[in-house]
Amino acid sequence: MASIIEGYLGKRVDGTKSRMPARLDRWQSASGLFLGLFMWGHMLFVSSILISKDFMYTVTKMFEGSFLFAQPHPIIVTLSVTFVFAIFIIHAGLAMRKFPYKWKEYKMLKTHAFALKHEDTNLWMVQAFTGFMMFFIGSVHLYILMSNADKIGPFASSDRVWSDGMWPLYLLLLFAVELHGSIGLYRLCMKWGWCNGTDARAARKRLKKVKWAVTAFFLTLGLLTLAAYVKIGMEHRNDYGQRYHPTAIIAPLHLSAQEVPS
Amino acid sequence: MKIHYCDALVIGGGLAGLRTAVATQEKGLSTIVLSLVPVKRSHSAAAQGGMQASLANSVMGKGDNEDVHFADTVKGSDWGCDQEVARMFVTTAPKAIRELAAWGVPWTRVKRGERSVVINTERTTITEADEAHGLITARDFGGTKKWRTCYTADATGHTMLFGVANQALKEDVDIRERKELLSLIHKDGRCYGAVVRDLIDGELEAYIAKATNIATGGWGRVYRTTTNAVICEGTGQAAVLETGLGTLGNPEAVQFHPTPIVPSGILLTEGCRGDGGVLRDVDGYRFMPDYEPEKKDLASRDVVSRRMMEHIRKGKGVKSIFGDHLWLDISILGREHIEKNLRDVQEISMTFNGIDPADEGPKGWMPVRPAQHYSMGGIRTKPTGESPDLSGLFSCGEAACWDLHGFNRLGGNSVAETVVSGMIVGNYMADYCLENEIDIDTATIEAFVEKEEQNIREIMSRPLNDDSIFDIKRRMQEIMDDKVGIFRNGEELQEAVDELQELLKRSRKVGIRYVTHASNPELVEAYRLPKMLKIAISIAYSALLRTESRGAHYREDYLKRDDANWLKRTLVRWTDPEATLPEVFYEELDIMKMEIPPAFRGYGRKGMTIDNPLSAKRQEEVDRIREELEAKGADRFEIQDALMPFDLPENYKEKNERQGVGYA
Amino acid sequence: MPDTAQNKGRMLTFEILQYNPSDPQSKPHMVTYHLEETLGMTLFVALNMIREKFEPDLAFDFVCRAGICGSCGMMVNGKPLLACRTLTKDYPDGVIRLMPMPSFKLIKDLSVVTGQWMDGMSKRVESWIHSKEEVDITKLEKRIEPEVADATFELDRCIECGICVSSCATALMRPDFVGAVGLNRIARFDIDPHDERTAEDFYELVGDDSGIFGCMTLLGCEDNCPKNLPLQEKIAYMRRKLANVKDTGGGLEIRVEG
Repeated sequence: MASIIEGYLGKRVDGTKSRMPARLDRWQSASGLFLGLFMWGHMLFVSSILISKDFMYTVTKMFEGSFLFAQPHPIIVTLSVTFVFAIFIIHAGLAMRKFPYKWKEYKMLKTHAFALKHEDTNLWMVQAFTGFMMFFIGSVHLYILMSNADKIGPFASSDRVWSDGMWPLYLLLLFAVELHGSIGLYRLCMKWGWCNGTDARAARKRLKKVKWAVTAFFLTLGLLTLAAYVKIGMEHRNDYGQRYHPTAIIAPLHLSAQEVPS
Repeated sequence: MKIHYCDALVIGGGLAGLRTAVATQEKGLSTIVLSLVPVKRSHSAAAQGGMQASLANSVMGKGDNEDVHFADTVKGSDWGCDQEVARMFVTTAPKAIRELAAWGVPWTRVKRGERSVVINTERTTITEADEAHGLITARDFGGTKKWRTCYTADATGHTMLFGVANQALKEDVDIRERKELLSLIHKDGRCYGAVVRDLIDGELEAYIAKATNIATGGWGRVYRTTTNAVICEGTGQAAVLETGLGTLGNPEAVQFHPTPIVPSGILLTEGCRGDGGVLRDVDGYRFMPDYEPEKKDLASRDVVSRRMMEHIRKGKGVKSIFGDHLWLDISILGREHIEKNLRDVQEISMTFNGIDPADEGPKGWMPVRPAQHYSMGGIRTKPTGESPDLSGLFSCGEAACWDLHGFNRLGGNSVAETVVSGMIVGNYMADYCLENEIDIDTATIEAFVEKEEQNIREIMSRPLNDDSIFDIKRRMQEIMDDKVGIFRNGEELQEAVDELQELLKRSRKVGIRYVTHASNPELVEAYRLPKMLKIAISIAYSALLRTESRGAHYREDYLKRDDANWLKRTLVRWTDPEATLPEVFYEELDIMKMEIPPAFRGYGRKGMTIDNPLSAKRQEEVDRIREELEAKGADRFEIQDALMPFDLPENYKEKNERQGVGYA
Repeated sequence: MPDTAQNKGRMLTFEILQYNPSDPQSKPHMVTYHLEETLGMTLFVALNMIREKFEPDLAFDFVCRAGICGSCGMMVNGKPLLACRTLTKDYPDGVIRLMPMPSFKLIKDLSVVTGQWMDGMSKRVESWIHSKEEVDITKLEKRIEPEVADATFELDRCIECGICVSSCATALMRPDFVGAVGLNRIARFDIDPHDERTAEDFYELVGDDSGIFGCMTLLGCEDNCPKNLPLQEKIAYMRRKLANVKDTGGGLEIRVEG
């Protein structure tokens, strides 16, 4: 009954307001923070290809549990991706509450952002737009990885990028993620005042610079990484489907050569 | 026809009006406040420097009390004020400020220990007592013996206005904005409310109330160069004048503030000089000590303004395309002080003049020249705030001539007056509402509304001629600036009166280009203009007739304060609506009832009075009573009561506690 | 003296929206006026000249003309500004486009209803001291630490001009959003020792998506506030505070058997 009363009257039976809006706000921020930081790590791991195929291979195996089990278990990746996908969906669901959802709102927002020429408002527009993009391209990517968790590796990934024709999607995703993530993390700091220090205004200026530096760094890294996969994919297109065999094992992981599946 | 009924009607949503409304609403009376603008935008917000109340918390205020505040106020007024009212005021002011503190006004507080201040251009260290820590502090202001002006940086009026407006919202006062008073509804000497125009849709409405309070502020905009907001056009006072019954008191008593910035005329607070800033001339020379050795830059406003103009006339002004001016130097106070305590001043100077007053040396000096600032005169009331001419009509704040200020108001006494008179008059008004019923027939109401509708129809039907409302208005303002300013003389005043009468005639004929009712600024100008002209004529004509110099009213052809002939209050009544001049008569001030009989103010020129023999007689009497009572061990309250008894509502007459001295 | 001598005599172009929603004949349209620039000209001066010379009917609002009362917020080339403080010399190309502030009800031309909006906000956040203490005004006032009084004053400087609302895309999209002005007001009473309200009390006022949790941190308020109020910092502070308000669990359901 209490829930019905609250539903209809907007007040709980003790006369107080629901704490749900606070919770949702925290969850939105927490999920965003997780995804933002996750994407930094993700990008760093994916870019391991820039060092060498063996390095990338080792990293991949590590995520399949190579440091715990004798045999790699791609199911670990499947579960991890599923978890991230779930957070992704939760974040999308919470964040879309902020979208303009009527034409009139959209029109107002667009006019205003155009006229005001205000950086943080425009950055939010970018965030909303990239967020919307990721509903789709992010989901595609996540689903493929979830269902093909065993097909991650220097050749398998490159084949996906090039021979499976995924590179345009990844290119879009790269921009969407890096812009959305770095803006989002900056906004989180502003929203909760985490980095305000004693002089909030100076801190904001510094943080804004850091934000742009981070965006530039990850975009550069991402483009180089994507180029590397494209290059490998092109070279490997005639051997599509063939898996990579490492030439060297990168320490300190306690994998031995004979344990590598063939 | 829309007719709204309420118990108490307050016209004007500034500090005085809102505080009145809180008083009546608190007593269970349904109260409506009507305002030209959203109430938090009222001109009260522009009061910068502070509010006087004798709290005596700061070390520089030690020894202050009601008596000292009273004496400063009376001297400041050049003995033109009603001393009974001044007593009511100084007794209530500490209570008002404490009430406001409880309502959330974030008064700047005393901090224990040493602090550096600038006194007479010297950096001096003063030490605040431990016991005073956390109590409300005060700064120095002109014409006061003690540091008595309490403040919140230089946005005092703003924080006070928000505090009181929020309290009115809390009390659920019915506040209606963009409503303009056109005329008062009255019958047989009793006021029943007002005809009001909605400034959005242009509709006329009648508001019927047991008591009506006019708290519409000053009339500064009849002058061209004024610190006043654009809404301060005196239409509230004009509505009283147009009843043909109500009177204005001392309209010629107009204050010119020494330091509005040139050319915009925006005020730079007296706090600039109170905190240690000084005036300089074209040579960078600090000239005020030469004229006023004792109070220097901090003599009363009338004196400082006059000395400045005198100095400019000697050729010591700074030439500019906006006319000669002088400099106000606050850079000597240091950047830290300016950015904390004189922040709005800095903002105004930087925005409008591109000068950062914290910059050291001449670079930071701000151009200033005296300009119209305050109307001491206004709707004449009794000490209860009720009109002596129309029952049920009240007035308070700058709109009124309650007569706290006489011929010159002290800085910091006007925002203080707004809330204090709001408390006092509000309570008397509430009592009036509780004791009186109204009976008025709708035919009377309709007649008043119809008269205003007829007036608007008539304006709209006028053929366009070569004349323009804006031209007439500007001309009126120029005349007031040029001929009814700081220095006045019979010849120019006569010219002013003559030409203003011509303008009044023209204003009754001038047509308007747009004939719509709703939101029509031109129409508004058209019906306000004759009202403003009536005020301007009242000022100029009263100034012409007063052949003496008193406070801010300075006649070059009658240099002396003439207590023998002019210790009286001017009263103006406009009986014939078609006339171009009002009737002027006078109300004697009774020296024999004064607590402080007329004497030298302590600043300004000496030996410039024509004494009234009664002054010495009353002084003897006062001395005798004081001596006798002191011999009997009477305290200052008992002595005061013997000299000049007065009444206050609520608990306002109770003694005020002070740090270190209790209720002594 | 204002350093505008070099601009004297320049021709300015004003494009001003004109529209009277109460007149069925009226359609919103821009009207262009040309005006010679004067020394130190502000939009207050310019608009009054336009009214006197060309358009006696032009509606706009000014009161103090000194940046203190908050009456004259309008969109100047897309940015919400206090018109009285806006100098024409700051527009090098001499083209100034004026629109009324959005998010407030339009009266006519540049005149909007901000007062009622602000009163509504004030009532919603109960913008007054809540105290059970009976104050005896004949006694010494309550002692307040000087720094705390200064901190309260810092936030009390808000002039309710509405610029934070008009520079906030959230407020424009969601008219029920309380705006930075409302959140700042909550922060102000939170600091004020006279006010006895707790975080739980404030949560009841703004603990929802049209209150503190509706703020998307676009920071238009922070960057456009003419009084330079520390809005980002204070809204973040209130957000932390209110997001962490304990859940009382909604309390027990009261059942009354009849």
